[in-house]
Amino acid sequence: MSGDKVRLNTEWLCDCGGCHVAIVDLHEKILQVIENIEIQKCPVLTDVKDYPEADVGILTGSIRTEHDRHAALEMRKKCKTVIAFGTCAVYGGLHGAGLAHTSEEIMEYVYKTTPTTKTDFIPDSEITGLEHVVTPIDEVIDVDLYLPGCPPHAHYIFESLSALVEGRTPKAGQDTVCAGCKRTMRKTDVAEIVNSQDGIADNGVCFLSQGYICLGSVTLDRCLAPCPNHGIMCTGCAGPTMQILAEPNHDIRTEVSERMARLTKIDKATIINHMEKSAKTHYAYAMATKMIGNKPTFLIQQWIADVEAGK
Amino acid sequence: MSKTIKIDPVTRIEGHARILLDCDDAGKVTEANFCVNELRGFERILVGMEAVTMPQVTARICGVCPTAHHLVAAKALDNAAGVEPPPAAKLLREFMYMGHFIHSHSLSLFVLAGPDLVFGLDGNLATQNIVGMVEADPELSKKGLRLRSLGQKINETIGGRGIHPVTAVAGGISFSLSDGQFKRLQELTGEAVELVSELAGKTKTLLFKLLDNNPALLNQLNTESWYLGTVQGGKLNVYDGDLRPMDNCGTVQPEFAATAYKEMMSERAVKNSYAKEVYLNMNGGEQMYRVGPLARINVADAMETPLAQQEFAKFKNDFGTPCHNAVLQLYAKLIELVYCCEKANEIINNPALRGETRVPADFKGGRGIAHVEAPRGTLIHEYDIDERGIVRAANMIIATQQNTAAINRSLKEGANNLLVESGDETLLNGLEFVVRCYDPCLACSTHAIGRMALDVEITRQGQTIRRVRRK
Repeated sequence: MSGDKVRLNTEWLCDCGGCHVAIVDLHEKILQVIENIEIQKCPVLTDVKDYPEADVGILTGSIRTEHDRHAALEMRKKCKTVIAFGTCAVYGGLHGAGLAHTSEEIMEYVYKTTPTTKTDFIPDSEITGLEHVVTPIDEVIDVDLYLPGCPPHAHYIFESLSALVEGRTPKAGQDTVCAGCKRTMRKTDVAEIVNSQDGIADNGVCFLSQGYICLGSVTLDRCLAPCPNHGIMCTGCAGPTMQILAEPNHDIRTEVSERMARLTKIDKATIINHMEKSAKTHYAYAMATKMIGNKPTFLIQQWIADVEAGK
Repeated sequence: MSKTIKIDPVTRIEGHARILLDCDDAGKVTEANFCVNELRGFERILVGMEAVTMPQVTARICGVCPTAHHLVAAKALDNAAGVEPPPAAKLLREFMYMGHFIHSHSLSLFVLAGPDLVFGLDGNLATQNIVGMVEADPELSKKGLRLRSLGQKINETIGGRGIHPVTAVAGGISFSLSDGQFKRLQELTGEAVELVSELAGKTKTLLFKLLDNNPALLNQLNTESWYLGTVQGGKLNVYDGDLRPMDNCGTVQPEFAATAYKEMMSERAVKNSYAKEVYLNMNGGEQMYRVGPLARINVADAMETPLAQQEFAKFKNDFGTPCHNAVLQLYAKLIELVYCCEKANEIINNPALRGETRVPADFKGGRGIAHVEAPRGTLIHEYDIDERGIVRAANMIIATQQNTAAINRSLKEGANNLLVESGDETLLNGLEFVVRCYDPCLACSTHAIGRMALDVEITRQGQTIRRVRRK
């Protein structure tokens, strides 16, 4: 292959594999990308097992085992530009919710508690132990570019890959999911939070106005808002906005409650209390990042323990 | 005195695994283990989450078959609420699923197994991938990739997103298709049917060429096992129906509903892998069984659609029932790919698709169990939901873990055939090929993924006597 192509390595750590499928999901546009890129290491596509020198390295997934840690370090050594690709790489992702439990607790449940499991031991030979917590990759290596999203929409993947090929900085706006949502925000007399499983929401009106908790207003748009436009509340899968990450006293529940209290007749404290009770749902994708975890008022372990104890 | 051989990792499968082989003095493999090396622990993570988010959350278990988890979770919530989604919703879910199957089976046939088909098992490593394949056989590769795209676009149009779809909810589907979307789906499915009929013959020719060039594959990859798949009125179905077991001699056993899975299945942890094995509790014992395309073709009486039925009849005629040969999984997958394209085209022309798509569903305080056939086999979810709508307990039986025991046995048989005569590369490729025939998806089976450099180690009495590294 020609020498002036951009050499690309990709690697997956602890994730679902969806980010790699998302790259394939550039569909026809992938041909445009491939013209200018030489794919070297890529776990699903090629049989290359070591780490060649590369211009760009895409890392998906978070760090869960020693293997993951080693792979992240190797990628950093060999790739000039490293992209943390997908919510798991950037914030720890959904299995970051495993943070709420020790690895022993998870093992105990999977191998000893589930009703169909007839054995009574935990696998222990020829496999690598789980690290104590799930770690976003920038706590282990330096990251040059962040592309959250679960997975990021093809629009953003294409933009970032084209920018890297052209040697420019990718255009990445700071809009929230609300920017792409077609629902109308309006002031209502709704006086109580509606549990997300109750009733069927009006498809033309903002979920918050109707009393449903939707995370669209606090979530970075890397998806083009498919959920609220298909009748589903945003669950925050691309992670929080910079405003929330950067401000020590702002977080998902404070921002949502403020906006929702202004749109409805529900008071802010009630909304905050409700969201703390469902913290594992509302912080599912981002709780493993220190940018959320280290906030002084963020007591997720306590909130989850209370719920599990039936309080 | 024994040897241990390690292959690490197995590439071009979805996920992270290694192979360990124990040999006796004569060099005969006595035990083979397919080891899965990561665990995310979703069963535990789900506890404490709002049940309403299960269809979106569990999709994240696997980026390769998210739609399977998405739909089975929605079905489990229907079950917990005791509601039947309206006919249009069922059709939409099934249509979404056909799109997903087209994507998944095309990915598996043309991207993951494709290089083996085009280059054979002794191909040049540097080009043994989809990029090399596009150069060597542009027509097959490009059409295969196009078919995959069509499937994913169908999935995306109905599911809101292709990877991690969002629209299946308790009680149905969360939106109705617009006229524009109808038109788009019509075009996508029409093209898919056309493409698949062109591709089927070509793919079959390549598969049979591979078998002709490697006669050992047909003679020696015949691991006997039971099978499990889903049928509706005896015909193969992937979205709904009853679970039908078949014993290793081909005798169909009584069908059961997913709700009986706890009585019918046992999971067993193994020492050196995070993936648990699963057995069927039948005939007074625990039976090793397989799931997936080959299992489904084995247990079904017929296919619902005409082209798929033609291929099905040929398969049965050539390979009988049950067909134990793991390599023919590829043929079985091709038959299903044809079926899914035809079925999608049938659904888009069904007027019932335009009806109501959702009924209210209250699953609070309920327990829901449901299953679908994931592309790689039977998938079961169960949730115990409290009065506030929070998940209190969760359990899942995943396709790939049900095949683990059979994979190990096939590896042992395959290794014994390859070990003595073959050079290092052929051994490595051969064993990886065995694993790929089962098309395991490790993101699912342990809910994890990862990798490491390939390393084969043969030891005797604790001392390394031979080491093969693929650099």
